[in-house]
Amino acid sequence: MSQIARRCLPLIAAMALFAPSQATAQPAQAANTCLTCHSTLADTRLATPAKLFSGTDIHRERGFACADCHGGDPAAAEKARAHDAAKGYKGAPRGQAQITACARCHSDADLMRRYAPKQRVDQATEYATSVHGKQLAAGHTNVATCASCHGPHGIRLVSDAKSPVFPTNVAATCAACHADPRHMAEYKLADGTPLPTTQFADYKKSVHYAALTKGNDLSAPTCNDCHGNHGATPPGVGAVSNVCGTCHAVFATKFQSSVHAQIFDKGCVECHSNHAVLKPSDAMLGSTGHAVCATCHSGADDKGAVAADTMHGQFEQLEAGIRRSGALIGRVKNAGIEVSDQELALREASTKLTLARTEMHGFVPASVTPIIADGAKIVESVDAAGEKGAAELRFRRRGLAISLGAILLLVVALGLKVRQIDRRSHS
Amino acid sequence: MVKGVVDWLDERLDLSDLKHFIAEKGVPIHTQEVWYYLGGMTMFLFGVQVFTGILLLLYYRPSSAEAYESVQFIVTQVKFGWLIRNVHSWSANLLIALAFAHFFSVFFLKSYRKPRELTWLTGILLLFLMLGFGFSGYLLPWNELSFFATKVGTGSAGAVPVVGHFMLRLLRSGDDVTGATLSRFYGLHVAILPAITTALVAGHLLLVQRQGMSVPPGIERAQKAGKLGPLAQMKFFPNYILRDVLAWYVVLAIVAALAAFYPWELGTKADPFAVVPPGIRPEWYFLAVFYTLKLIPSHIMGFEGEQLGVVAFGIVAIVLVLVPFLDRRASRGERSPVFTVLAALGLVYLVVFTIIGHYAK
Repeated sequence: MSQIARRCLPLIAAMALFAPSQATAQPAQAANTCLTCHSTLADTRLATPAKLFSGTDIHRERGFACADCHGGDPAAAEKARAHDAAKGYKGAPRGQAQITACARCHSDADLMRRYAPKQRVDQATEYATSVHGKQLAAGHTNVATCASCHGPHGIRLVSDAKSPVFPTNVAATCAACHADPRHMAEYKLADGTPLPTTQFADYKKSVHYAALTKGNDLSAPTCNDCHGNHGATPPGVGAVSNVCGTCHAVFATKFQSSVHAQIFDKGCVECHSNHAVLKPSDAMLGSTGHAVCATCHSGADDKGAVAADTMHGQFEQLEAGIRRSGALIGRVKNAGIEVSDQELALREASTKLTLARTEMHGFVPASVTPIIADGAKIVESVDAAGEKGAAELRFRRRGLAISLGAILLLVVALGLKVRQIDRRSHS
Repeated sequence: MVKGVVDWLDERLDLSDLKHFIAEKGVPIHTQEVWYYLGGMTMFLFGVQVFTGILLLLYYRPSSAEAYESVQFIVTQVKFGWLIRNVHSWSANLLIALAFAHFFSVFFLKSYRKPRELTWLTGILLLFLMLGFGFSGYLLPWNELSFFATKVGTGSAGAVPVVGHFMLRLLRSGDDVTGATLSRFYGLHVAILPAITTALVAGHLLLVQRQGMSVPPGIERAQKAGKLGPLAQMKFFPNYILRDVLAWYVVLAIVAALAAFYPWELGTKADPFAVVPPGIRPEWYFLAVFYTLKLIPSHIMGFEGEQLGVVAFGIVAIVLVLVPFLDRRASRGERSPVFTVLAALGLVYLVVFTIIGHYAK
């Protein structure tokens, strides 16, 4: 390569990088008089967008300006020229116009590749299939559009903890509309009953909410994990176990093989509820008390009731055994006897209990019994080792008591001897 | 029978000098004589350490792959292995506590004054050696706590000006605490330190026997002033030695009770790649120094805070060694309140900072 060519290469590369693109939208590089005027306006409705956009806003940070969404002439100093429709000014896009405005860039794979190569570009398509999108198409302008969830200005990345669509904020964002009875009043379920507005309150009682907000587990499900985000829609009948099975795969497989899979309309929701998914317990199983099985099964002649009671009894028995063994091992360990093998074995027994609880979702006691038997055998061996440890402990303490007694006797004898010698010395 | 053996030896070795020494040696009786027993108790515990240490050696394997498992084997599989290990660990801690008590009693009674400078010198070196035993022995079970505490401890050695990096590498046998450090600490713990300690203990005992027990300066001054007559003497053999043995038995009973009721934890095996667990701190006898170094700001007048702290502790150690030569008033038999106050402040500092260091997060 010649010397001149080598010197010109960086210049050519820079020119290629900043050359005007043929993409539909481009960051406005010119002076932005929109912010200059709007930030000084007394009307907060008009000033707030400027303030928010001037703060943390991913679009501004990436070089976009007001005119990229609102149109108009950002170089013009007078309001009339800046807001000239001939210059593409369209004001604040609402409803379908907003979807179109956002989709102009976000559905453009070529453009998005430059800013966020991994981001999907089918949000607008998905939105059209969602309940929100369909309602909008049907003329309901009150439904959620892009800005309802992401905000119109001051938009943050989804990975930003302050974003309204960050996992820990999603439920509150959805609840802004879905927990508001006035907002939801005009919408009805398929059977004509009013749409409930208790989902957020129910969700806040759930294990999922606790895992997400107290356990800091960002993979714990929030609204969009089950309902979808841009294609938001309630999971239909038959799809529920698929939705839950996305995370709870083994439970879903066992359930699909069970007789209940054919009977239950709402799949997992029948026993575990949908939004208020509480921590499951063995008390849910059985034919008495608050057991969920008792809703349909009761009486000694009911095979389902017998199966539920049998499995419940087995779980309780193994759990009590693990607890008892754990206490014994803990006592022995505290006294200094090595029990790490037994601790490991007890963890194995706990795994067996979990396995049995998983297997229970097939609702066949015969497949649960062998797992429980394996767990019980482990507990038995740990009990034996624990008893041996306790016996060793008693032996040590007895030995020590004897040794201390002997030492004490020696001390007393020595004391007497010392006194005798002292007395003899004095005399 | 004993007389027969003594006569047999006397006939061959002429033990008349020794017999005369034993028959004549006396210990002065006064109000402070109780402190005399601390040295003997410390020596007894050193004997316990040697005895239990040799037994542990029979099963212990000094490598990062096997150390933890071998200690686990000792406490679970070896007959009375748990007792030996617990006695070794507890008596080590009691030994250091008694060594400190002995050190402070000697300091307060000014027993270091002329002509016992060499006894003090060997004694203070023995105290440092006991701390060295504690530091090197702590790593040997190769558990999580000891591993990270050694990392912190040896890291402080790296803060010594000029030779710090060399010392750190010398201690660790490399840049980090590894299996090589374990081998090195093992060598120190079972060979180098015991050899030096044995020689110093022998010298210390020889000096004590040769010079006799020190009488507190207050009593000496009262005698000189004619307020007190000559002190009564207790025969060393058997009156004093029997009292000593009695104290040893009491110590043995305490160690046995602690070993049985408060067994020494084994912890979890050290994992050099694990995240440093919270609350890592050294053994209690290093807590005061550790906590002080933690309190020092990172930079003081352009110098590194930790470096200054380590230098200050080094100076304190040198001053302690030189105390008999610095306290001229005590050597002349006069009152030396400055050194008494310094010792009292040192004691308060050690107690307070050890307690705060223990509870600090």
